[in-house]
Amino acid sequence: MSPEKSFRSSTTRLAIVYGAAVLLLVVALQGTVFLLTRSALQREVHAVVTAELENLAEDFNDGGINSIIEVLRSRTDSWVRTGAVFLLADQSLRRLAGNLAAWPPDVGPVGGDEVEFRIETHERGAASTHPIWARVERLPGNYWLLVGTDTSESRRALRRFGLATLWGIGLITMLIGLLGWGYSRQTARRVRDFTAACDSIVHSDLSRRLQVGARSDEFDQLSGTVNDMLNRIEQQASLLRATFGSIAHDLRTPLYRLRVRLEEGLLHNDTSRATRELVAPVLEELDRVQRTLGTLLEIARAEAGGLARKPERIDLVALVREMCELYAPGMQEKGLKLQLDAAGEAPVGGERQLLAQLIANLLENALKYVPAGGHVSLAVQVAAERTILIVADDGRGIAAADRERAQRPFVRLEDVATAATGSGSGLGLSLVRAIARVHRGDVELQDNNPGLRVVCSFASWRD
Amino acid sequence: MHLLLIEDDTEASKYLAKGLRESGYTVDVAADGRDGLFQATEEPYDLIIADRQLPHIDGLTVVQMLRKQANKVPVLILSALGSVDDRIEGLRAGGDDYLTKPFAFGELLARIEALLRRGQGTATATRLKVGDLEIDLLGRVVVRAGRRIELTTKEFQLLEFLARRQGQVVTRTMLLEGVWDLHFDPQTNVIDVHMSRLRNAVDRDFPRPLIHTVRGAGYVLRDES
Repeated sequence: MSPEKSFRSSTTRLAIVYGAAVLLLVVALQGTVFLLTRSALQREVHAVVTAELENLAEDFNDGGINSIIEVLRSRTDSWVRTGAVFLLADQSLRRLAGNLAAWPPDVGPVGGDEVEFRIETHERGAASTHPIWARVERLPGNYWLLVGTDTSESRRALRRFGLATLWGIGLITMLIGLLGWGYSRQTARRVRDFTAACDSIVHSDLSRRLQVGARSDEFDQLSGTVNDMLNRIEQQASLLRATFGSIAHDLRTPLYRLRVRLEEGLLHNDTSRATRELVAPVLEELDRVQRTLGTLLEIARAEAGGLARKPERIDLVALVREMCELYAPGMQEKGLKLQLDAAGEAPVGGERQLLAQLIANLLENALKYVPAGGHVSLAVQVAAERTILIVADDGRGIAAADRERAQRPFVRLEDVATAATGSGSGLGLSLVRAIARVHRGDVELQDNNPGLRVVCSFASWRD
Repeated sequence: MHLLLIEDDTEASKYLAKGLRESGYTVDVAADGRDGLFQATEEPYDLIIADRQLPHIDGLTVVQMLRKQANKVPVLILSALGSVDDRIEGLRAGGDDYLTKPFAFGELLARIEALLRRGQGTATATRLKVGDLEIDLLGRVVVRAGRRIELTTKEFQLLEFLARRQGQVVTRTMLLEGVWDLHFDPQTNVIDVHMSRLRNAVDRDFPRPLIHTVRGAGYVLRDES
């Protein structure tokens, strides 16, 4: 399936929309959890630092500056133990006590300030940088106290958590994508199979039915309903067929008796010459009625029931060539030039006899209506799904306003009728159209400037 | 030649039987499918003409049952159902030819004759001879009175079709069916134009014509000397 086509499929669209919605929810949820974790970690750091600061301030209040210095000295190993930093400085920010070597250069002496800076350490010969979060407090007597803690551990934890979240989102996206793709592919395949099956039933074998699976899901229900519909259609079609059969029988039988009687009359040796001359044209007239009736029934059957049998593979180029051979001498005798422009193969599915009849009708129309010296050309073109047959002449053509009318039964256009031999039944183009429709095609009458151009298109044969 | 006509339309049946008898055939008549099948099984007929729509057992079933009994008698089916599908159904059931009602009596006679003479020798022949006309089917060469005649492929096929049935009337519909495999009624005289070309090639330069027109029926290739 091409990307453009797959986007047109409604299941694919549905899968994409659902996938996107689920993904959005997951991202929002994971994002919230991440932000909450980060702020919890920060709050904990703050709480520890603030508590330490308050303790030291209390020590100051109880025992003055020396008390703090004492406490700080006793805590020289606190960096190694807890990652805590302390610094007590005088008003010119000179170090008095604490485990920091000097007041950090990028931190200003502002009371109650929360600051972040980095310190360099050399532990077991390895230099490393640690981010510190600290608070600065001003003690009475213009002393500055800085208490902070190493945040590298919590930052690392947060980073790991963030990375895990991103991985999670990525995996979920992939999973949703795969599931959606699989689901939409499966559904699209079922719909495609369904469409193909319906298509082949309607166009080639009305007695076939869709398979109804054991799952009895929507598709099986749909298949059941379509099968019911097909049963109805088949019933109607066979009813129509039977009706046409009895119409044919009821109309042809009296014609048959009439013909037999007239011929019986002609067979008698004692029938006078005058009677014979009377009867012969009646027989001819009878033949015309019979032909018209046959054509009408053929049209009605084609329009109503379609092909009765499975279509065969017919090469339109070969058939057109044969029909040209059949009609070429007649055309030549009438002074018409017949030209064929068809190469290769152009397979269509259908009934050879009906297609031959279609081509014959178009050629006979040209024979009847194109004046001597005219040109008649046939062409077969294959364009993707369609196979096109074009029969064009440079006769008088059909006026644009009459073209639709010309395809209706019994319509014989005034101007052409007078030019014609008078033998047309007015059914030729209706039969052409009916046959084209049976072959999933259509007929268009166009202006050939001058003349008539009949374009018949058929569905190309698919193996 | 002994024919069986199975036809429920008594009036038509009477006239058909009379016409056939006048044309020199012995004709038995059955009025429905059951009688027809019974008679066909009892008597070795040369040909059966069966209407398709019959009371009791229809014409197609009669043919099918005969074929099941390994009865190979040629059967010509007559029917008011004339569409392509009906025709194919009729031939599939085991009919040898199918004629749509109403038909010209001449058409019926020509087809009966063709069916009766079918399988009489010419199928495996490689050379056909009509008077001074010789047709080499393998080399596709036509010679008349020692002079070679050039024919197009279709003209050759037409001549072969006629020559295989020399002396028999061949109708236009039979030619359209046999040479072009087409089963419809042309509204124009396409076949006559082809025949006049063939005539020009075969008969024009010779004193005695071999192709003759049979009025109201068709053509016959025959040496009338």
